Amino acid sequence: MKSATFPGGLGLPAVDAGVTQAFESCPSSQKVIIPLKQHTGNPCDAAVKKGAEVKIGDLLGENTDEDAASVHATISGKVIEVIKKFPDMYGGYSPAIVIESDGKNETGEFSLGLSGSSDSLSLIQEAGIVDLDVEPIPLYKKLSFAKEKSVNTLIVNGVDVELQLSSRASLLSEYAQEVASGIEIIKEILGVATVYIGINENAPKSVSAVTSVCSSAHVVALKAKHPQNIKELLIKAILGKEVPSSKSPEEIGVTVISAETVFFVARAINEKKPLLERFITITGSSIKSSRNVLVKIGTPIMDVLEYCGVSSIGTGKVIIGGPLMGIAIHSTNMPVTKETTGVYIQQEGDVVEFSSGVCIKCGLCVQVCPMRLMPHLISGFSESGEYAMAEQTDIFSCIECGCCAYVCPVLIPLVQWIKFGKSEIRAQRSSE
Amino acid sequence: MKTPELVVSAIPHVHSGNSIQKIMTNILIALLPAIVIGVYFFGIDTIRVIVIAMASAVAWEAILQKIMARRIVINNLSGAVSGLILAMLLPPTAPWWMICTGTFVMILLGKEIYGGLGNNPFNGVLIAWVVLQMSFPDCMINWMAPPGEFFTEAPPLEVLKFEGLNSISEYFTNGGLLMGQSSGFIGEVSTLMLFVGGAYLIARKVISWHIPVSFFAGIILFSGIFWLVNPAEYASPLFHLLAGGAFLAAFFLATDMSSSPVTPAGMLIYGILCGVLTVVIRLWGQWVDGAYYAVFLISILTPLLDKIKSKVYGR
Repeated sequence: MKSATFPGGLGLPAVDAGVTQAFESCPSSQKVIIPLKQHTGNPCDAAVKKGAEVKIGDLLGENTDEDAASVHATISGKVIEVIKKFPDMYGGYSPAIVIESDGKNETGEFSLGLSGSSDSLSLIQEAGIVDLDVEPIPLYKKLSFAKEKSVNTLIVNGVDVELQLSSRASLLSEYAQEVASGIEIIKEILGVATVYIGINENAPKSVSAVTSVCSSAHVVALKAKHPQNIKELLIKAILGKEVPSSKSPEEIGVTVISAETVFFVARAINEKKPLLERFITITGSSIKSSRNVLVKIGTPIMDVLEYCGVSSIGTGKVIIGGPLMGIAIHSTNMPVTKETTGVYIQQEGDVVEFSSGVCIKCGLCVQVCPMRLMPHLISGFSESGEYAMAEQTDIFSCIECGCCAYVCPVLIPLVQWIKFGKSEIRAQRSSE
Repeated sequence: MKTPELVVSAIPHVHSGNSIQKIMTNILIALLPAIVIGVYFFGIDTIRVIVIAMASAVAWEAILQKIMARRIVINNLSGAVSGLILAMLLPPTAPWWMICTGTFVMILLGKEIYGGLGNNPFNGVLIAWVVLQMSFPDCMINWMAPPGEFFTEAPPLEVLKFEGLNSISEYFTNGGLLMGQSSGFIGEVSTLMLFVGGAYLIARKVISWHIPVSFFAGIILFSGIFWLVNPAEYASPLFHLLAGGAFLAAFFLATDMSSSPVTPAGMLIYGILCGVLTVVIRLWGQWVDGAYYAVFLISILTPLLDKIKSKVYGR
């Protein structure tokens, strides 16, 4: 059978992170930093003060509106600081709570569901679950919106954020049962009949594991291609439909939820456990063996790298996510959060400089663009300040997947120019 | 571990390693089989033409870039490739001064005056070739026949034009045309070798299939109509494909990056128009071979064809 896919994109050689059978648990850190905003939206309000003693699972921040998601303590110990402005990887900041471990790792009484309401949706909200993908929003908000739009199709995104990462595929092969249970829960919440699970065909173990336990869902093997993870392209590959621009998938009756999210939904409902950890892949250009690890939220990235045996990076890059779409962070003191999709390390010698030559109109960017845009034109318009032309050439349809700049023979930083153009247009609009 | 100093920059963080130099190297490799056949049939003199063309093209490029106070980028090999392609469009007897004039025009009017590689509206090689055709018509038809028993020194399309269809079957076989057993420009004679080179470029993703395939489709369809109506008067589509510069033009000239469209629809229309115009010029034009003129003229439409955008996702 031909695997489902979308036109364009890159068939990159996937670095084999060796779909590991068991995730290694990264040991608890001496000190964790837990930001009160770990998603797209608003930060939640701090529920603890400096000096408070907390146990694992205790509430640190309460969600006050549906744009916020609550956060919980991931180690036991003492709150040593409440930082007002802690930097996030996007260049913004949010308050954060720093906990120093007492070394006991005591688990508190999980309070999920004790507040009275016991329906699944409010449990999900209490558990602080966000849709664990790039730029996540609180799952409660996402599901409520999907319900409101009465979606009829659920797509479980089992495709890793990028081809070099494999934590999602590993999760599916190891915890297929939990994922199946999570699917049933979400199905019930949304009242949908049709469920698809999209998995990369290069993870046959995951495909067969999921096929054997999820009887009610259609498992779709997808061609391993970048950027298959993006929901618009997942919908294109699985359903053959396109999401009209400026509309959300929910408005055409589809919602896409990542497999990891589904797993944590099952945990929250069945075991009443809040979201305390993430499954991530640690990989990179010169890392000998990639590792899939289970990391507690708040663990400094430095500690995770040390656990994985990364000794020196030089003046390299630490990228949250994959090498094409991930965000380079400025410090390894930053913690793993609900937004951490993976860590990609680039040693000093492997850092690429986009020296920006003159476009030779080779058309390679047009060939690879999965949205069928003309990246060289949009980038050129942004560079020269022709924002009206950039908008006419559909700058806002760009999903910033990085394919165009990856293939460009004269190393034009196309995505950077396009992002710049978008922000300039937005700034112009808001000042009007 | 010490807290490392990190680099922060926009996405993407990796690159394919593609470069102009790699693209040009691939084109040089792709041209090699046709060159070998040219040297084999027309003798050592062809090497003289090729060396002068490549060396003078690179030299002009360096000189002009120096004069125009630009960064000298001859190591991206684009000058060398243009020089080689121009050499392939010359007869083996071309005099050195004509070659140097050609490469000067090619680099100046075909490239540097517009701001360098990528900004030229026309294929520089063809600008130079057209100038040479108009300025030194005698030198451009000073043919040399390949060794062996030959009835004519004229290239196949010239025979078709001036002696008619019957002489064609007398002088040439399809197999011979495939291998390059006819006179003509250095690089155009062996259709098979050009095909091998073109297929290599498509396989290496240097060019896409759209332009060559639609170019051939244009030739076959348009010449096929006349041939079906009156096979006694008009040459077959197969002859139009194998004779003259169709393959050289379709694989190596029409696919010139900056003067050809970039969208699939644009490329297909461009290719078909090139093919049709090739046949039109061959049937009714004053020139013998229409392929090169066709590419030259149709590239005027490129900015227009680039306006035919693909349907954007979700629009």
